[in-house]
Amino acid sequence: MNEIPLIFFLWVGAFLFATGLSIILIKRNVIFVLMGIELMLNAANLNLIAFSRGDELNQGLMLGLFVLVIGVCEMSIALAIILQVYRRFRKIDIDQFQSRN
Amino acid sequence: MNSPLMIGFLALTMLTCGSAFYMLWTKNVLHAALAMFMTMLGLAGFYVLAFADVMAVSHLMIYVGGVLILILFGIMMTSQRSVEAGQSNELWTEQKGRFWAISIGLTVFLGLSWLMGQQHFYAFTDLDQHSKLGQVGLSFMLEYSFPFELTGIFLLIALVGATYIAKNHE
Repeated sequence: MNEIPLIFFLWVGAFLFATGLSIILIKRNVIFVLMGIELMLNAANLNLIAFSRGDELNQGLMLGLFVLVIGVCEMSIALAIILQVYRRFRKIDIDQFQSRN
Repeated sequence: MNSPLMIGFLALTMLTCGSAFYMLWTKNVLHAALAMFMTMLGLAGFYVLAFADVMAVSHLMIYVGGVLILILFGIMMTSQRSVEAGQSNELWTEQKGRFWAISIGLTVFLGLSWLMGQQHFYAFTDLDQHSKLGQVGLSFMLEYSFPFELTGIFLLIALVGATYIAKNHE
């Protein structure tokens, strides 16, 4: 049975990472930026899983499962903070925050 | 190259990369959330193709079942209504610096691809193609038991903290 080469997984991971980075840089909505961060996190996770494919100890797989949980924690707390920001300022654009010097 | 595995991989690549690019393209937050759903489905398929079925199932449950609902709730509760009456909800998001962001993303992608093309990865000859569920469960109970418990405590603290932060404090 012929296998999928490892480099194909890495290409997809690199594409997802670059797309997430572009989303973070382009969009002005905080929820959009959060989605870009999730995309980057999952791209890194895909690399972990792809490298752990031939490992008998499943180290990358275990690390990937822990990364999944940490990503969910980050997401829930970030959305709670966004909700609080929206309650206070009625707006969740990134450009609205400017330092007053 | 013409194996069914490879054809499935190509189909999943089109699904995942296409919907990720649509997330970058669109200005509608709701459409982006749906595109993220498709991306997560494609990623779960990739995990299946990498013989990590446990990861695929938990990814589907957590991301499609949990995180997407959270994002939809966030979009719903923070939708900025437009000023003019008669117009529907304002879900469009502003974009700035499109050229620079896309060129930075393209540079990162090409740089990563070039860097990975330089390496010579060890090719595994015989992969374990059986389910890894038993091994993962044993690893959680044996050598990863402390991080497992720590993750549980961390999840509890994060969820309680998120509930407290999202509370109406007035």
